[in-house]
Amino acid sequence: MDDVAVADAAVRFTEVSVGYHGTPVLTDVNLELVPGQRLALIGPNGAGKSTLIKSILGLVPVLAGTSTVLGRTPAQARARTGYVPQTDSLDADFPVTAGQVVMMGRYRRIGWWRPTRNADRRAVHEALDRLGLADHARTHFGVLSGGQRQRVLLARAIAAEPRLLLLDEPFNGVDAVSQEAIVSVLRELSAVGTTLVLSTHDLTVAHELADAVCVLNGRQWAVGPPDETLTADTLRRAYGGHAVELRDGRTVLVEP
Amino acid sequence: MNWWDDALHRATAEVLLAGALAGLVGVHVVLRRLSFFTMALTHATFPGVVAASIIGVNIVIGGVVAGAIVALGVAALSRHRSQNTAAATGVMLSGGFALGAGLVATQSGFSRDLTSFLVGSILTVSPQDLVTTAVALVVVAAVLLVCARPLRYTGFDRAGAQAAGFATGVWDVVLLLVIQVAVVTIVPAIGTILALALIVAPAAAARQWSHRLSIITALAVTLGALSGLGGLYASSRWDVAAGASITLTATAILALSTVLARLVRSRPTATARLRAFPA
Repeated sequence: MDDVAVADAAVRFTEVSVGYHGTPVLTDVNLELVPGQRLALIGPNGAGKSTLIKSILGLVPVLAGTSTVLGRTPAQARARTGYVPQTDSLDADFPVTAGQVVMMGRYRRIGWWRPTRNADRRAVHEALDRLGLADHARTHFGVLSGGQRQRVLLARAIAAEPRLLLLDEPFNGVDAVSQEAIVSVLRELSAVGTTLVLSTHDLTVAHELADAVCVLNGRQWAVGPPDETLTADTLRRAYGGHAVELRDGRTVLVEP
Repeated sequence: MNWWDDALHRATAEVLLAGALAGLVGVHVVLRRLSFFTMALTHATFPGVVAASIIGVNIVIGGVVAGAIVALGVAALSRHRSQNTAAATGVMLSGGFALGAGLVATQSGFSRDLTSFLVGSILTVSPQDLVTTAVALVVVAAVLLVCARPLRYTGFDRAGAQAAGFATGVWDVVLLLVIQVAVVTIVPAIGTILALALIVAPAAAARQWSHRLSIITALAVTLGALSGLGGLYASSRWDVAAGASITLTATAILALSTVLARLVRSRPTATARLRAFPA
């Protein structure tokens, strides 16, 4: 086995198809991410962005092709993979505080029934502090703003100290302050070698934050540096020939 | 004379234990929006209980078996998250109830009549029933305590819990079985068609006053026990069926709590509280 090459890649997908119940949702995926790389997944609603993220987690089966994550199968790598779900997929009415949500990131280390240790409480405090929410540890999750909720979920992922972090639409319904806090923490994580994969509708964020972009819509249309992939031509093809404008020399997407 | 020899003493102990148990599981029923499923469980235990008394085994065993079939069936169906879950639950509810009613009708001179299954028979509680309820309360409390983290994670964020390595299907089954143990324990005393309010109302009332699970749970257990006690007192004072008066007391507590919660939140002095706990 080619140990060196496998260990080098955080994510390696070769000719991968993923989908549910044997029916592919997304095909022709070829990804090779080195540690610390920041990949943005771009594509319209239903393009398969969330499905791809879940397949990197090993929660959606790979139907064809070969896939390794952190040198193992996606499911085996899950212990070192962090996940920030879309905020609207959770039950915000559920009685949990921000601190309790972040502590969930430590459950895997603690075990599901053993008591928490000082190191866990410290990790929770530090993660909240990094996202500017140290004063909100005892606040009910449901009363936080959309941006604060997203920051809490990122803090939860950080508290687990992942080597690969997957974020599903982390900037949806997020205010400018929260977006700034999230982007700066993501840059810090990347600088210390954490690989990032995030799906987004926001091409500006993709341009500024990501060093690689993958354009999806049912299949992979392009992958590479932002300047080469976020072109009007590629986007028009992926989005079905409409809703792309160029502004200030940059590609801007008008929501389809 | 032994304290247990008085039927009213036994009934008092039973309503306290059953009320506390109902409040305890009710919190999870309310938070997971499982009221309808729990309604199906209460009705599905009915044929199991009747069949058990016909063939002469402990009725709790009959109830557990029938309830387990429904719990596992609904868990299997709800993995597909289709609308058919509600339909299947509804069919199991009335189907199970009809099966129980049919079984009762086949037995002439049946020892327990249909009414005692439907509205309960708290005054015929035996010392063994008390022990069963006490054991169920301890077991359910212990399971909920030990499994608090996975239940919190899967209840709050299913996708996140899966990604964090929790087998959400397994924890669903754990929770459904816990609810089922409580239902089978409570139904003989309170009644098939009345037990749901005692499970849901104290927890729904408690939810209006806190966002901390520990406080909600303590409050729901207290209100559940109070519903039982108040209902039993009303029943002996005005000579109405105990199951009915317990259910009415639980309902009244929820109504009162809802009105009080509105009043507290509309007072100007409560602005700080409102910010902490909006509706």
